[in-house]
Amino acid sequence: MQIELRKPEFVMRLDRLGSFHQSKLSFLRSFIREFKDWEFETKELELDENGFGHCVYVVTKDNKQYSLVCFSNELADSERSDRVIATKWDASFVLFDGIPSDQDINRLKANVPLQEQGRVTEKELCLSRANKSVRVFEHVVDRLAQGKQPDTDILYNVGYLYRTTAVYGSGKFGLADRIKIQDRGELKGPFRLEMMLVFLARQFTFDMVNHVAHQRSPQNAVKLNDDIARNLGIGNSTGLGMAPFIVNHPALLNQWIISKEKALLAIRSIPNTSQREKEKFQSYLSTIKENIKFWKTDSEYQIKKNLHLTNDLEKFQNYFGKLDIEKFFWNTVYEWAEINTQAECCELIVSLLMEVYPEIVEPLSYEMSIDEEDYFDFDTSRSIGDVCALIEKRYAWLVEIDFEKKDNIYNFWYYSKNKQEPRMSDRFSEDGAERELPLAIARDINKLYLELKNYPKKDPLSSYLIKNQEYRHILRRIFICEKLPYSEIQDNTISKSLIPVDMLRLKLSFFGATRFDPRSDRWVRITMYQGAPLMKEIHQSDDTWSYKKIA
Amino acid sequence: MHSLYEIETVVKRVARYQGLSWGIAEEAGKTVRALEQSALPGLERFDRLISFPYSKCVREINHKEKNQKYLCPIHFGLFFLDQSHKPDNQLTFQFSNILEPLLIIPFLIKAAQKNLISFDFKSNEFKFFIGSGKIISLDTNKIPHQSNDITLEISNQRIKQYSDETWDRLYNMSLETFVEENEEKKLLGAGAGLTDND
Repeated sequence: MQIELRKPEFVMRLDRLGSFHQSKLSFLRSFIREFKDWEFETKELELDENGFGHCVYVVTKDNKQYSLVCFSNELADSERSDRVIATKWDASFVLFDGIPSDQDINRLKANVPLQEQGRVTEKELCLSRANKSVRVFEHVVDRLAQGKQPDTDILYNVGYLYRTTAVYGSGKFGLADRIKIQDRGELKGPFRLEMMLVFLARQFTFDMVNHVAHQRSPQNAVKLNDDIARNLGIGNSTGLGMAPFIVNHPALLNQWIISKEKALLAIRSIPNTSQREKEKFQSYLSTIKENIKFWKTDSEYQIKKNLHLTNDLEKFQNYFGKLDIEKFFWNTVYEWAEINTQAECCELIVSLLMEVYPEIVEPLSYEMSIDEEDYFDFDTSRSIGDVCALIEKRYAWLVEIDFEKKDNIYNFWYYSKNKQEPRMSDRFSEDGAERELPLAIARDINKLYLELKNYPKKDPLSSYLIKNQEYRHILRRIFICEKLPYSEIQDNTISKSLIPVDMLRLKLSFFGATRFDPRSDRWVRITMYQGAPLMKEIHQSDDTWSYKKIA
Repeated sequence: MHSLYEIETVVKRVARYQGLSWGIAEEAGKTVRALEQSALPGLERFDRLISFPYSKCVREINHKEKNQKYLCPIHFGLFFLDQSHKPDNQLTFQFSNILEPLLIIPFLIKAAQKNLISFDFKSNEFKFFIGSGKIISLDTNKIPHQSNDITLEISNQRIKQYSDETWDRLYNMSLETFVEENEEKKLLGAGAGLTDND
């Protein structure tokens, strides 16, 4: 049987991309697989009775070392905002290349808590900050100080003790450029360092509640139970700043998506399935159905999606329970899901399928990075007719869109002067559209296409470029899409109907986030590493922790 | 010192602010980054270029016109990057004057490697030769048969090639591509409340 990759025009629609779930390919899971044989150590825990001070965690293998330096500071309730516009945080983190000296710690202490307003150096690799989930933090410390374990109903409804906001890397604010570390074997997957920072920051949150509880009541305090801690992740609040990334990095996006599609294709192409494999899938399915109950949100959009998911999973369970194993069993299962369930459920089933076949999926996680510089220049000797044909082939979905219509150009993306973060506004009632960021891809390709139609087909592109450079950035991505067909979101990112959280969800699902809780159409809270091994257990991880029951 | 990422981003935004298309602004950012990475003063030269002032630079390159003056090196470099695939390139071009010629070098290196050609640049003040290989240009007449009293210094530290004043000037200019937000817009743009004590 000849089974093909799912087509880009099916996969790359935003409503499907915005329904992706974490999987074996997710970066936090590949981080644990990669680093499970490294040594993890708490090197310094210099905290006062209120938990203010600093901690250092060190990750070592042979002569390689990375350190997370955490700073914990006092923060008034009125100053606690988990949005990127904040200027102070309960905790701030920096990932250091090697082991920091006392001098380094002092330098970092003066800068890291300031985040965007401070300066770091090329010795530092990633920067982040987090705020306490006040209701959970106080409850946990209070109970531990009394010698009791916290109420897991309260804990698991939130899922974490601290929420991070931004995690910065790759040269921002003076951090090391990616070029400095990209050839290191252990970093051959996207966002490895960011995932390391978040994993170690999670350990810091446990050490913090244990420390403060002990300080409050040295005689009575107990430590947070490992089973409870393991089921706590670390939260994250993400706003629009993350959305342009997936538009600005088309080659990288292609690698993420094609890896998933290759995994699915390989699984659908398996001719013979064993009863054991079927049962394994069933057990993951049963677990996730239970864990979904902990996905809490006030967002009507997400409530509706979760409801569809629950109903679809029920429908799917009925179908799957009665299904006998036959040739190309998983292909039959997938095809049924694609036709009979909505994207939210269909994509969850794809993630579950990947769990059954680690030997197929895990190697693909090494294909998820790419040298984007290789795709920067394009071939100007190609004929204008070629370029038009390429647009018709790869961008057929946008050729007919009428960009004179207000709703199709409703939004514009810009950089906020105040926070230096991308934002989106209504171009017809807000100021600033003249400073629009180049993220109106569909509109600009459409304009370029209409313009190129006026030039002789046989002329080389270089002739057009002598006098026309307005769409050079667009030409670059058209040629990327020719080679890498999963590089482009196939939706209009400035239309009135755009749901930006779908763009956030796409990226966060590849990070490995769960419990999507949109706070509006452009801001979402999620959880990372919930259920993951604790720092001291990482070397025992068999990468099945994502599908363990939460409670 | 600033990271190469910061340098590239600031130059891209300043180039955009100077009226260049996003595509050319991206090229300018990459070019200055490449020079800084090679310990050459790309940022300083870029700053001088836009202070010329940039509005007086000639951006449309006409290779048949000998008397073009004040040519923009970014457009000049891009012209040869874009056009040098053409087979009639065994030619000598003459121009009267080009500003900050250092900035054309990364473009010509790419063009030479891509099309297997060479560029022999000669002017009153400055000469260089770029071939299609990866070896840097040497004066072949002066290659000795032996070298004595050799010092070879290796460093993984980048050397800062620009002043703080230049950086501040360019950085502040790059902010001109940003949009000022009032309080209402801050809320609408990001989409949620301001405190999160939950």
